[in-house]
Amino acid sequence: MTNRISTTKKGNEMTVMKPDRNLPAMTRRQFGLSAIAAAAAGAFMPRSVFAADQLVVANWGGDAVTAFEQAFAEPWGKLNSGKLVVDGGGPSEGAIKTQVDSGAVRWDVCDGEMYSSYRLGKEDLVEKLDFNVIDKNLVGFGDVHDFGIANYVYSYVIAFDAAKFGGDPPKSWADFWDVKKYPGKRALYKWMSANLEIALLADGVKPEELYPLDLDRALAKIAELKPHILTHWETGAESQQLLRDGEIVMGQVWNTRAELVKKQTSGQIDYTFDQAVVSPSVWFVPKGNPAGRDAAMRFIRMTQEPEVQAKLMEVYGMGPVNPAANALLSPELQKISPTAPENIERSVSMQNQWYAENYGQALDKYTALISG
Amino acid sequence: MLKHPANWLGLSLALPLPTLLVLAYLLPLAGVLAWSVSTPAGIGFGHYRQIATDPLILSILWRTLRICTVVTLVSVVIAYFLAYHLRFGSLLKKRILLIGVLIPFWLSALIRAFAWLMILRGNGLANTFLQSVGAISEPLALARNELGVMIGMVHFLVPYAVLPILSSLQHIDDRLLQASRSLGASFWRSFKDILLPLSSSGLLAATVIVFVFSLGFFVTPSVLGGGRVVMVAEYIYLQMFQLSNWGLGAALSAILMLIVVALMLLLIRIVGIRRLMDTAS
Repeated sequence: MTNRISTTKKGNEMTVMKPDRNLPAMTRRQFGLSAIAAAAAGAFMPRSVFAADQLVVANWGGDAVTAFEQAFAEPWGKLNSGKLVVDGGGPSEGAIKTQVDSGAVRWDVCDGEMYSSYRLGKEDLVEKLDFNVIDKNLVGFGDVHDFGIANYVYSYVIAFDAAKFGGDPPKSWADFWDVKKYPGKRALYKWMSANLEIALLADGVKPEELYPLDLDRALAKIAELKPHILTHWETGAESQQLLRDGEIVMGQVWNTRAELVKKQTSGQIDYTFDQAVVSPSVWFVPKGNPAGRDAAMRFIRMTQEPEVQAKLMEVYGMGPVNPAANALLSPELQKISPTAPENIERSVSMQNQWYAENYGQALDKYTALISG
Repeated sequence: MLKHPANWLGLSLALPLPTLLVLAYLLPLAGVLAWSVSTPAGIGFGHYRQIATDPLILSILWRTLRICTVVTLVSVVIAYFLAYHLRFGSLLKKRILLIGVLIPFWLSALIRAFAWLMILRGNGLANTFLQSVGAISEPLALARNELGVMIGMVHFLVPYAVLPILSSLQHIDDRLLQASRSLGASFWRSFKDILLPLSSSGLLAATVIVFVFSLGFFVTPSVLGGGRVVMVAEYIYLQMFQLSNWGLGAALSAILMLIVVALMLLLIRIVGIRRLMDTAS
């Protein structure tokens, strides 16, 4: 989900997101091939090739690479002599498994999916975090567990055509589902994350009673909306295009993309943080990482600093998980930070533990529904 | 024979190709096959059993086969038409057609898929045009569904079908056609009795090549399919990288490969390997 894009840059690039869900198809295929090639080559590649005096942080490519460099390189340079390298190769579960199993681990710290961190932990593919170095208490939003810690958040928000619905804008997922009051096509995110939550919220489930998710009820509610879903967008840029070109009147999109499209259309497309689903991204450390576990832990600790968190929000719109960071933001950025007090109190928090335990079976049912 | 040193030299000079094939192709392939039969409980055919019984997988496989069949038939018919004009048309016509066939051939699948999306979507070129001339009042659903996937795939695959058909048409002796026309045969009669039988090997090769190619389509369905997991290649990706369920993904790949191998064997059996190489070249 590194869907987010810098709030300063026009977002047409296609490679900003996590490949598992957001990368354009071609890149995903190349990514898949390279992962398989890595598996094949692993046997011949000694680990020492990668273990220079550098720390490799993996994310999902595109602008996120630059954003990480801008936010992390300088503070890391103050603490260490080694270089910080950001690799946009996409730390999907499959990629981590490939590297760890083949003994050719290239990444030290990965910006991944929260549910992946639980699953990878269970499979013994990631290092246990050292909470003597990392400070649990600095995380105000998102999960902290033995194998993963929230690094930033983003929200799934309702974006809508204000030219059509500006007088009485949608304020809830129930409104999103209300095709009589708000006629027109919708778009949802391709994968089920947050889709299940918003369906249950639309069906009247109270935010505090969402978990454990009632999968069948959520799927039935999505099925209800199906005739009005134009498409399931895959990349953040696609979600922007759908709204900007008027192909849809309402979309469930990432807050960063909603903000971009709002700026591009001078407010014709607007969005709300009402019932936004806040989703944390995560740091995890592949087992046997080249720079060593200690360096990885120190890096994670560094990223918890309020200044570093604020910088990441500034350059890329990633919501701080350290509440102290919001106070450092400009008033404009506070307005669009998913974790700023007036936004977070209207939002609903996603719990990835449920996904970690039910992902495979739930994804099969979800895929059957949307592709049927 | 191998006692002579020159023969040893000859053998060693021939070695790089088989070595490369084994290392870069057969070994990884064996790895994929091994994944497909490894289950958490040890070696077994659990993944294959799941494929045979899981209604979702069966429906995706079935849809893949259905889309590929339709796409293949349409592509081959269009390709035959193009190849016919490339063979018998005027020089200018040939040039224009060749450019029309080859330029998209050199463009990446991703670019072509997005280009089709721009043309076919609700407020895209096609719908805007049809609405402006009053042919339709509401935009047609041309993209973000199976139809869009098929259009994109046909466009991608037609060049692959044109080349073998054209090659077999070029082998036909003009005098046969002249003879049939001079004996009073209609166009259709000449087509049915001379062109079609004599180009059948190219036609068959085109059909198999296009079908085999279409089975593995990933980019086009993903872009034009409206974000629904339409075809099996994307489902394999999902199993491999979303769920790191390599076993099931590998088993599905093995099944796809089996279909491809069976089709190729069938083709070789019917057409003969020599003629196949001949038409394809």
